[in-house]
Amino acid sequence: MSDISQLKKVLEKGEFAVTAECGPPKGADAEAVLKKAETLRGKVDALNVTDNQTAIVRMSSLAACSLINTAGLDPVLQVVVRDRNRIALQSDILGASALGIRNVLCLSGDHQSFGNQPQAAGVFDLDSIQLVQVVRGMRDQGTILGGETLDSPPDLFIGAAANPFADPPAFRVVRLAKKIGAGANFIQTQCIYNLQRFGTWLEMARDRGLTEKAFILGGVTPLKSSGMAKYMKNRVSGMDIPDEIIGRMEGVAKEKQREEGIRICVETIQRLKEMPGVKGIHVMAIEWEEAVGEIVERAGLLPRPIVVS
Amino acid sequence: MTNKRETTLGLFYCQNVPVSSEQERQNLELKYGQRIRLFPIPCSGRLEPLHLLRALEEFADMAYVITCPEGACRYFEGNYRARKRVQRTQAIISSIGLEVDRVGIIVGSKDAPKALGELVDDILKRTSGLGPSPVHKKV
Amino acid sequence: MITAVQKPIDEIREMIAPYKKILVLGCASCVAECAAGGEKETAMLASTLRMAAKMNGEEVGFTEMTLDRQCVKEFYIRLDDVIDQYDAVLSLACGAGVQAVADMFQDVPIIPALNTEFLGETKDQGLWVENCLGCGDCMLYYFGGVCPLARCSKQLLNGPCGGSMDGKCEVNPEIDCAWQLIIDRLSKIGALERLEKIYPPKDWSKKQGGGPRKIVREDQQK
Repeated sequence: MSDISQLKKVLEKGEFAVTAECGPPKGADAEAVLKKAETLRGKVDALNVTDNQTAIVRMSSLAACSLINTAGLDPVLQVVVRDRNRIALQSDILGASALGIRNVLCLSGDHQSFGNQPQAAGVFDLDSIQLVQVVRGMRDQGTILGGETLDSPPDLFIGAAANPFADPPAFRVVRLAKKIGAGANFIQTQCIYNLQRFGTWLEMARDRGLTEKAFILGGVTPLKSSGMAKYMKNRVSGMDIPDEIIGRMEGVAKEKQREEGIRICVETIQRLKEMPGVKGIHVMAIEWEEAVGEIVERAGLLPRPIVVS
Repeated sequence: MTNKRETTLGLFYCQNVPVSSEQERQNLELKYGQRIRLFPIPCSGRLEPLHLLRALEEFADMAYVITCPEGACRYFEGNYRARKRVQRTQAIISSIGLEVDRVGIIVGSKDAPKALGELVDDILKRTSGLGPSPVHKKV
Repeated sequence: MITAVQKPIDEIREMIAPYKKILVLGCASCVAECAAGGEKETAMLASTLRMAAKMNGEEVGFTEMTLDRQCVKEFYIRLDDVIDQYDAVLSLACGAGVQAVADMFQDVPIIPALNTEFLGETKDQGLWVENCLGCGDCMLYYFGGVCPLARCSKQLLNGPCGGSMDGKCEVNPEIDCAWQLIIDRLSKIGALERLEKIYPPKDWSKKQGGGPRKIVREDQQK
């Protein structure tokens, strides 16, 4: 059990950090969580555990994080505001900290219509920025929303997501500034394929001094097939996949496409390493967690630093 | 021995097409007797779904409307609106199990205009397969 | 205005099935504006129900009547004179009207013919869109006249989310992203910097905090 944020230590030490997504199972089996997490041990500094991603019912992020924490790995608790009101959210923050979880990522969450419970009421009592602010208030002032004092404050490294590729482009950096102003210590971005457009966004962030105020981790996702690439390009909001990348995926035989996808991912990481203001990467290899180790290794990011407090 | 009742067509027709007179209307009603009831209207845009529904409810086995050709409506949009309203009426009668063809629309021809009597014949022929409406069956 | 759409005819027929003398009651206000429950629609529904009854050999009478409004006592009290003639009322009012009539005439089943939808505007002929949530604490000033609660699918006060694409919402590409509208609107009036501030969490107690709401104006009372 760590009870410290490995992610925070790595970033504060000035090392290039690596995080990866680890989705909980659609079931109650603790072993499934541990098995998946085990494939990432030693490959990443922290593991993001998603919160009913795409509005599909899965084991709760909080429970999965607790299991992962007990196994000696550093979890990032992802929290969406879609499913819980401010009472439940603040309560879960306290619970997470009590269980030794030390990182939290505050998100809006995909709309309930996308998932397997489209008849559910979407809560959206707070938005993601307000949630960041609330967690910061709990941690730094020891108060909940409304000002009442907590017996003991939570200890959490606070993160938020950013999408350099969503619209409107000029406003994305204003939103980033709001999240950091609200208290975000680290930012994980949507997966990057269009490095030029990402570079533009990063430059605007740098100009505002944001890259000094928070640790920005660039998101990457290895493409499994040309079909996946085209699907993401055309059907997923907030995604920018240049035709050149589609071309590369289509240009190789089907059996070779996974390899090409990994290759593109590794190249992207190497480019990101050189961009000033990027302090790490966040690998989202959905249903392909086994690839994370290979990607991280080929990108020259192993071994992960052992940071002692 | 069941009496095979003849069907009744309720026909709403724009007075601007076909060119017809009040005399022609009366002659047709004499000729066809119970088989038709004619309702001249100043523009097919005046037609409401309610007129068609009431006709079907009260006496008609079929209720049709004749409109001017596209672009030729004296009031510009009347024929377009009539078409939409007929479609709405079809949706309504379909929802209670009535055949959709019990209401319909005939668009007058600009190049080969037909007399009212000819159009009546056309419609009767077109709907001959429908038989009496289940709304009016003898209980 | 309040918008509504007619329930499917099968559902209506199922609800009215036990009754023989039905008053089909329209409303000349909001539901007439959205072509769902006005005098015309009431007549159409009554005619349709009569035909369906005849087709199925059902002995049932439908009488039509339309009130100016079903949600104002001054208007629905007029039913007092006639309601004894009926064993049920099929109301084409919105939920407010149906309940107002039901509260006054408790011995007669008042059956809703419509599904009440939303508070909104007639954007164009035949097009109605939702734009108000009735939150009790109007913030339209801050957002350039675009409500982020009613028009943002996630009710964000610090939007947009990452799913805003080409000015459209990720939930349905036909829906405008409210935050794109807000940004555009505030830009037009030179107030975009308003969005640099973090809006605090909404006070929902103004809407739900005390249960169903009430407004009392003593200056208006007898």
